[in-house]
Amino acid sequence: MFSKILAANDGSPGAVRALGAAISLAKLHQAELHMITVEAIPHFPASIDEVEEERYEANHRFAPVIDSARNQAKAARVKIEIHLVPGHVIEGIVEFVKTHNVDLLVVGFMGHSQLYERIIGSTTDRLVRLAPCSVLVVK
Amino acid sequence: MENLWFASALWIGLALIASVAQLWVAVSVALLEIVFGAVAGNVTNLTLTPWVNYLAGLGAILLTFLAGAEIDVKVIRRHFASSMSIGVVGFFAPYLGVLAYAHFVSGWPWPQAQIAGIALSTTSVAVVYAVMVETGFNRTEIGKVILAACFVNDLGTVLALGIVFANYNLWLVAFAAATITSMWLLPRFTSRLFAIMGTRVSEPQIKFVMLILFFLGGLAVTARSEAVLPAYLIGMVLAPIFLADKELTHRVRVITFTVLTPFYFLKAGSLVRADVIVVAASSILIFLAIKMATKFVSILPLTRIFRFEQREGMYTTLMMSTGLTFGSISALFGLTNHIIDERQYTILLTSVIASAVVPTLIAQRWFQPKFKPIDQEIATISEATASVKGKQGV
Repeated sequence: MFSKILAANDGSPGAVRALGAAISLAKLHQAELHMITVEAIPHFPASIDEVEEERYEANHRFAPVIDSARNQAKAARVKIEIHLVPGHVIEGIVEFVKTHNVDLLVVGFMGHSQLYERIIGSTTDRLVRLAPCSVLVVK
Repeated sequence: MENLWFASALWIGLALIASVAQLWVAVSVALLEIVFGAVAGNVTNLTLTPWVNYLAGLGAILLTFLAGAEIDVKVIRRHFASSMSIGVVGFFAPYLGVLAYAHFVSGWPWPQAQIAGIALSTTSVAVVYAVMVETGFNRTEIGKVILAACFVNDLGTVLALGIVFANYNLWLVAFAAATITSMWLLPRFTSRLFAIMGTRVSEPQIKFVMLILFFLGGLAVTARSEAVLPAYLIGMVLAPIFLADKELTHRVRVITFTVLTPFYFLKAGSLVRADVIVVAASSILIFLAIKMATKFVSILPLTRIFRFEQREGMYTTLMMSTGLTFGSISALFGLTNHIIDERQYTILLTSVIASAVVPTLIAQRWFQPKFKPIDQEIATISEATASVKGKQGV
């Protein structure tokens, strides 16, 4: 049913569970499996250094996440393509889904307080609304 | 607030709030510091003590040095004609346009109008760079031309700031001679000196750079020039060393962004008057419009000459219409030296901030060229993985 699955992974426990589900689904459907990690770049920075420091920190933060995802996929004998994308989380993931014709996006559920949900909204909510494909939210 | 440590807690607390807020709004910490500074300046009694002014000044100098140290001269040499011409007209057109409007239409006296022209002549290399990293354009030739042109544009701004208000006397000659001599000597022996000094926790390399910046800054101020001018120029000549030594650059950045630039941006924001923003909203919009219009009139035809496609030309022009750091430095220079008043400062700083946001949004929404290499090179992932493994001793 699904031929190209994308797991969004920021290293959070929910995202790791989502990756596990994506690996199982990829195996079941013989689908192509991709994982995306977005290194956030601040809007309207005052210096290149600010951008470079964010990327430097993100690279160090995500290196173990990427390593662990590779091992998880290898243990399940599933081929995974990993993409570290600079940009903004929602835009980056939605753009990737569009340009790579992904047909299933798998994301982790992150619970927030009611106040937070009301004011900020969750990344998961916005991905479900904006992604032009089916979205599986793993709890 | 008279208690030094309570005052310190207030300033660093505001900086901390800005850093934490960045996690939610994904806007640069510098812009948030300006906003929080403006709120605190209008709501609380945020006193500008001599030590706050000192830390803010030092932050501006190191920020400018780092901006200079990012210039890849090889790229400018490779795209000399396009980057030079776009950069030079990108500086002169808004400088003259805003200067003329401020003086002849708004009735600002010449010195005030000069500050307006200089503050709005800038291009934000950082805003452009962030957009390019996101879209992948930093890896294309057109992206490199735009970035090189931004550096040239900002060099014009820094030179104007350092020259226009200087006293033309022997001190200026001494300052110019010392700066030129340093620019000639430093690239020749700094690498060897750094190798001898080695990497120590006491950071002798950074202290050496600061010694040069402080001494030249002292001469600049004596000549009534601006200390950021030598900082940018010295950064430029030391760029090959700093571009090659990522760790050294990282250490300077950490010092600068943790304890220095927050004071600079919070101070810049705290001097904004909320009532002026409301009353002078039309002036702010007109200054922004003139900046963008003059950039369009001057840069867009050049992109045709250099055979940019229509969409790429519009994108380049909009990117060159941005501005933030040097615009705020110029406006603050004017206020600190009593050239402009708080009302004029508020108008200029708000226009500068608007110029960081408006052209970027238009460019990204309607004129992004088709090229969009979304994946980062796999090498970066491998490097990051290797680096972390190395640190963990794996």
